[in-house]
Amino acid sequence: MGNFHCFYSLTVKALIRDRLVHIFSLVVATVFLLIPVFSMFSMRQVQELSITLCLSAISFILLIFTILSGASSVWRDVEKRYTASILGLPVSRAEFVLGKFSAIAVLIVASAIIMGFVSCLVITLITLRYPADIPVNWLNLFVAVSADALKYVMLLSIALLFSTMSTSFFLPFFASISVYFAGNASQEVFDYVAGEYGTTIPFLSRMIIKCVYYVIPNFAVFNMKVQAIYALPLTPAPIFYAILYFICYTGIMLCLSVWSFNRRELV
Amino acid sequence: MHALEIVTLSKRYLGKRLKRVDALQDLSLEVRTGEVFGFLGPNGAGKSTTIKTVMGQIKPTAGHASIFGRPATESSSRLRVGYLPENPSFYEFLTGREYLHFVGKTFSLNNSMITEQSEHVLELLELTHAADRPIKGYSKGMVQRLGLAQAMLHDPDLYVLDEPMSGLDPLGRALVKEIIKNLKKQGKTIFFSTHITADIEVVCDRVGIIAKGRLMAVDTVENILQSGVEGYQIQVSRHGHVEELLVAKDRLKEFMAELVTSDAVVERIEPKRKDMEAFFLDIVSKEKHSAQ
Repeated sequence: MGNFHCFYSLTVKALIRDRLVHIFSLVVATVFLLIPVFSMFSMRQVQELSITLCLSAISFILLIFTILSGASSVWRDVEKRYTASILGLPVSRAEFVLGKFSAIAVLIVASAIIMGFVSCLVITLITLRYPADIPVNWLNLFVAVSADALKYVMLLSIALLFSTMSTSFFLPFFASISVYFAGNASQEVFDYVAGEYGTTIPFLSRMIIKCVYYVIPNFAVFNMKVQAIYALPLTPAPIFYAILYFICYTGIMLCLSVWSFNRRELV
Repeated sequence: MHALEIVTLSKRYLGKRLKRVDALQDLSLEVRTGEVFGFLGPNGAGKSTTIKTVMGQIKPTAGHASIFGRPATESSSRLRVGYLPENPSFYEFLTGREYLHFVGKTFSLNNSMITEQSEHVLELLELTHAADRPIKGYSKGMVQRLGLAQAMLHDPDLYVLDEPMSGLDPLGRALVKEIIKNLKKQGKTIFFSTHITADIEVVCDRVGIIAKGRLMAVDTVENILQSGVEGYQIQVSRHGHVEELLVAKDRLKEFMAELVTSDAVVERIEPKRKDMEAFFLDIVSKEKHSAQ
């Protein structure tokens, strides 16, 4: 794993120098500048709305960044024939895949930290002007942003897996988006089927839904936004569960990505 | 131990409509340490497939390859190899110097060594002026030369070059040939593919000819050129009158004996032979006939 750092630095450099990322950063800055204005649209819950908008903006921006950078990571290098040169060096394919993953993951976490910090400034400004009855629970806000970052790092591992298998942009891009939406809805579908309604559907269908539920990611475990918005008490158990789930699922996805890319022939 | 050893290598692809395509069939060859081995073949013969298999980028259907005794499937086998892929492409957002730095790091060279070696190879490949420009702005020939520079950076013992002269202008081609000759003088082993026979004649010790995935011939360039001698063009002068005669290879001794007894003077003897291209075309056309 000696060359892991080489690929890590290379990918960070690629993203930092990418013109698309520069344009995207300008859009992000504009979004956060507009949040105080939009927060004032609510006459009673300005603080709550500002927290909601900040968390939604962070989530949406991280989603776009994760999908674009993750889906195009390995596939684009193969398509542009960079891998023909790179993999002729004494490096392993695992180093290549994991180096790329780590670089994008670190940038996702760094973006979440920066946007979290900007959110704190925006929320502070709002609460100074429109004080709310419930004080902001900064720890909950921190946990919500961190959980979101974990969610998108996990989504990145899925996008990376699709990218290692694909020969075009379409599979990794659309498959990752589909998995994202399915992963956000899976818990609700599962609960619905596990309830009274479940008894009305055939056993085989229930089994299939159950299997799909365990295969696709469950992003609901990372949703701690309500606790942050309304300063509700947050117990450690769901946080630990989310971390554990993140480690296991991401680990499996990365193993599959390395396995898939190792089998790939660079014709 | 050979620098490169390929043993009964085969590669079969599934083409369109699940049709089997044999890109390589039982290909075996070895490249000896210190020699320049030319891998000659027409387009689509399997030269790049062989090289990619050797470099671990394609898994063979059967057979194996080893580099200095280490299986080519291990990434560490490439530690002593400088590899130039066909029509290379490098990260365009990096400058030439940054790319060389990246390559140096993968070979675990320290920073001062990378700087020193980078300067050396950039100067050798006449790229110093463009070293700090993004690769995006490089011409095709410059990218090709950068490819050679990165292959030379860590001073490897074996060079695997896939069409090294491709995309170069006559000056660039001459430069690369000169570099290959110099590397040979330093005792380096070079395995390079080409479809240009003239390149083989100028720089190679041995040549392997591949057609339709099969190795058709392996021999020294000297042997090939020697075996291609069809006769001799002899310039003879008799009483101030000069004449050119074409003598068959098997009649040379007899002809010379006759000359000695006559009063003719031999001015010049030149072997008339097939060149590498004719030899190559012969083999390829034989393969075509056998396939039909």
